[in-house]
Amino acid sequence: MTTATSSPARRRSDWFKENRNRFTTLAILVFLLLAAMSGVERDDWFSTIMQGLSVGAITFLVASGLSLIFGLMDVLNLAHGELFMLGAYVGWTVYTRFDTVVDILVPLLILSAPFTLLPLWRRLAAAIGSTPLGRRWAGLGLLAAGATTTFVSVTRFPLVIWDPGNFAMSPSNFSVQIDLGTLAPLPPDTFGWPAVIAILATLLGGSLLALGFNVLRSQIDERTVVTRKHLLGFGVLIVTAIVLLAVKEPLNEWVFGLSTTWRFFLAMVVSVAVGSAAGALIEVALIRPLYDRPIYQLMMTLGVGFILIELVREVWGRPEFTMSRPAAFNGTGPGCPGEGLGGFFSGCSTLEAFGSRLRVYNEGFVILAGIVVLIGVTLLLKRTRIGMIIRAGVQDPEMVEALGINVRRVFTMVFALGSGLAAFGGVLAAPSIGLGTGMGAVFLLSAIVALAIGGLTSFPGAAAGAVLVGLLQQIIIRYGQSGINLPFLDEPFKPSPTLVPAAAILLMIVVLLVLPAGLFGRSER
Amino acid sequence: MSLLRLDEVHTFIGQYHILEGVSLDVPAGDIVALLGRNGAGKTTTLKTILGLTPARKGTVQLDGQDITLRRSFDIANMGIGYVPEHRAIFADLSVEENLRIAERNKGDLAEREELIFGLFPDLKRLIRLPGTNLSGGQQQMLAVARALVPDNRLLLIDEPSEGLAPVIIEQMMEAITRLSEHSTVLLVEQNFIVAGRLAQHYVIIEEGKSVKAGSMADLVDDDETIKRYLGAA
Amino acid sequence: MTTVRDGTTLQSSVRRWLHHRRGLLIATGLMVLFPFVVSLVVDGQGISAVFANDEGNARFLQGLAIEIFILALYALSYDLILGVTGLLSFGHAMFFAVGAYTFGIMLKTAELAWPTALLVVLAVAILQALLFGVVLPRVKGIAFALITLGIASMFWIVIQSSDLSDYAGAEIGLQGIPAPARFLDSTNERFVFYLITLAILVMVYMLYTRIADSPLGKVANAIRDNEDRALMLGFNTFWFKLVVLVIASITAALAGTIHTIHQPIVTPNVASLGYTVTALLVILIGGVGTISGAIVGAAVFRLLQYYLDRWFGGSSDLLIGAAYVLLVLYLPYGIVGTWRVKRLQIADGRKRLAALFRS
Repeated sequence: MTTATSSPARRRSDWFKENRNRFTTLAILVFLLLAAMSGVERDDWFSTIMQGLSVGAITFLVASGLSLIFGLMDVLNLAHGELFMLGAYVGWTVYTRFDTVVDILVPLLILSAPFTLLPLWRRLAAAIGSTPLGRRWAGLGLLAAGATTTFVSVTRFPLVIWDPGNFAMSPSNFSVQIDLGTLAPLPPDTFGWPAVIAILATLLGGSLLALGFNVLRSQIDERTVVTRKHLLGFGVLIVTAIVLLAVKEPLNEWVFGLSTTWRFFLAMVVSVAVGSAAGALIEVALIRPLYDRPIYQLMMTLGVGFILIELVREVWGRPEFTMSRPAAFNGTGPGCPGEGLGGFFSGCSTLEAFGSRLRVYNEGFVILAGIVVLIGVTLLLKRTRIGMIIRAGVQDPEMVEALGINVRRVFTMVFALGSGLAAFGGVLAAPSIGLGTGMGAVFLLSAIVALAIGGLTSFPGAAAGAVLVGLLQQIIIRYGQSGINLPFLDEPFKPSPTLVPAAAILLMIVVLLVLPAGLFGRSER
Repeated sequence: MSLLRLDEVHTFIGQYHILEGVSLDVPAGDIVALLGRNGAGKTTTLKTILGLTPARKGTVQLDGQDITLRRSFDIANMGIGYVPEHRAIFADLSVEENLRIAERNKGDLAEREELIFGLFPDLKRLIRLPGTNLSGGQQQMLAVARALVPDNRLLLIDEPSEGLAPVIIEQMMEAITRLSEHSTVLLVEQNFIVAGRLAQHYVIIEEGKSVKAGSMADLVDDDETIKRYLGAA
Repeated sequence: MTTVRDGTTLQSSVRRWLHHRRGLLIATGLMVLFPFVVSLVVDGQGISAVFANDEGNARFLQGLAIEIFILALYALSYDLILGVTGLLSFGHAMFFAVGAYTFGIMLKTAELAWPTALLVVLAVAILQALLFGVVLPRVKGIAFALITLGIASMFWIVIQSSDLSDYAGAEIGLQGIPAPARFLDSTNERFVFYLITLAILVMVYMLYTRIADSPLGKVANAIRDNEDRALMLGFNTFWFKLVVLVIASITAALAGTIHTIHQPIVTPNVASLGYTVTALLVILIGGVGTISGAIVGAAVFRLLQYYLDRWFGGSSDLLIGAAYVLLVLYLPYGIVGTWRVKRLQIADGRKRLAALFRS
């Protein structure tokens, strides 16, 4: 060991050595591109590649969160695909049935208001006594009482919702209506109880739940004080809920009058918010107690995914349905399809470029969104303090904690970020692939394959792996249509589209066997 | 007046009983060396103080305040710096980021820059380099420097001389002496010569128990104790 | 059975064995009597109704019990891999599905006699374990989980693709599989089939407890707790893991075969990740690594599933999911595991109490 720095020449050769895997990836990519261009007709290659990039972009949105979470917390979040699915369903709801969103939001805001008064519940919880068994039963009792009160009171709020069993009220019918521009708010429902009583009962339910959770916490903390900040948060939530209740009808009229493009942007924002919140909740309530039991953590995420699927089936029904494309990407008629790459902004649904016809939404907007997220998250990781903490935590969370940083809070934030990205992917994918409860599993599998190829904990690896998987799938679909000449078959082999994911999995198995750490991953030293 | 006080601390890692009663006192402003054979529980003692492996029995007090059950980041923020063994710097972060991540308040690094780069002039030159490209000695310097960024009252330093060349050990000892002017130090050290020259006090740990403590000046002449607990001197 | 040593007669060793296994023997006896009791008490029919294969609760509950036995066999094999050896495989459903599909295709398309078909299943099961085994030396932990997930997902995709619909029936699966023999016919000879399945389960269970206590089981435990240490102790862990995989694969394929005979339909569902999760859930309920937990868990799981479905209909899956989450959080050792811990504590407490009175 010396303090002398290595010579420039040696450093350059080191640089090549360190980046060898990136060159390998690049070589594989180039090979795939060449294969795509030579294997199909000249006018098709561009759209094949763009379709691959589009699928890659969605896969990347799932894979990036998965990789951040796995890198920092060693949790392979098998519920990530279902968070993607949740994002799609929430996005569809905001986009198509905004009136239902408002109806649900009101009791939800009131229910969450008591949780802002955390110090109060901690003090009350501290007063309950300290025998562990007694606290446990008291906590569970409070939770049960709170859940019952909440359920009874929340169902008394007015709620207009779809009904999968009745075609006129089914999600698929609403999707058709929004496409035709005939969708309107449903006639509003009324309170089952007098409004004041329903609101107060919901507040009581929320308070019991908040108290119950704090009684169940092992730490007893009586030092905390309710400050003006807490009261302000409480007030804001309550006032927002009441204002929403008051202006519900004009608000719905206004939103339903907006162009679908604006409603789509609103849907994206709400999806990301709901996805992040769900992720944070899952981490705090279900993953955190299991950090010293990794296998159980894995099982837990599996169970959470299962529950999310069942919840979605309960609320939105089993049948699959579609989501229409926002107006800005759905134009037809004179002037369409757009010419060249400038056609992205023509408002047409398709454009012609390099002799291929592309869909502006799928092959334009989705890829663009993927690139924006890639740049955004890269900047977050490289340029901000929280990014620095995440990168350090990926390597050694214990040491980060020893520096005086609350790593658990960082864990929650990253889980929320990753879940938000997955939800964003879901709402982006919904207009092109539709909504179904199986969509999460498909993209989780693709994302896992992408991660395994790129290296489980490497963020650039997640991006490269996702693009590889997307391209590979689309190229195989193209090949499959014209048939692949195999030496031992008389006729060209035409794989059915359902076989396509298998090819990506095959690639994953090969990569994992050759490079167990993936292309970008650091092998353990 | 002792800054840090451990009283009959028991720590478990999983089902293994690692510390079976460690008591020690660290007087403010001094350097205390924690001695003992490999696997005696020295590193676990440091981790228990920081709450990384919390004590199941006994108490840890910092400046008279009970910190046994607090979360690690909370304990660290009370003014404890930690230099782990094996130079656990963040390999993916640059030297500057490795220092900046330790800031508790914005501007900590700027405030202490002079002290840090005075002790380790090499680091200033390497400031943009990723941690993984540093040599072993440089990594150890960085690990110590990182603990100096915030205003710490107490430094827990684990095996600073391990695997270093003699020239670097010399530099490291110089640095530890200089920084003990600012804060109290609890030092784990296998190299008895290094420990003997640096510390004023010693505590010997054997099989998870603190068995002997006193002034370093006495221990240096006490061949029997050295042989019995530390192997050949 | 224990070996006959000097000074012990065969008779006494048999008696020792009977004593050692008395719980299992009693349980088996009760299970044999169970259909008759149901027939007499619930259905109000005679004992002959059981032999005559009459409709009724007795016949229905035998069917449910056979499903539990199949699930128990399948979960046993997963417990051997995950609980005893610590290999986290996410591809276990494939072990079951390969058995089910192979046996079905051999009977239906290849029209083989059942003993031949069984031999083919055995060969395929071993081959498949070797396929999983190939990756063993290269990857550990999460990478092994991903590769097994990948292989199984590929199988799941391929089995329901239209390219193989002539053999595997694509998304509908295998239908119209003929009964392999008169006594292997769950529809017409349910009681006989019930006894056969019960016998197979009991034998496999005894084999598994023997394995867990044998040197192989000890090494498997060592691999689970710390593979590097097992390596350092001089065990070639690869061969041990491979043997475990082969045993588990054969067991799961056997469970799949029985499933094919019992149903007699095979859908791609049994190859899905969801079916691996079922195995996970079952051994989680029973207690990971306890062997007998797999059987307890299978019974609890199947009955819970059946009754929840009857009471709550479509929402029952949600409740099962919630139960699963609560189980992972609050009952990590499962029923058998928790019971063993409690029994130790009770024994411990009794000892302390005795010591108190003695002093």
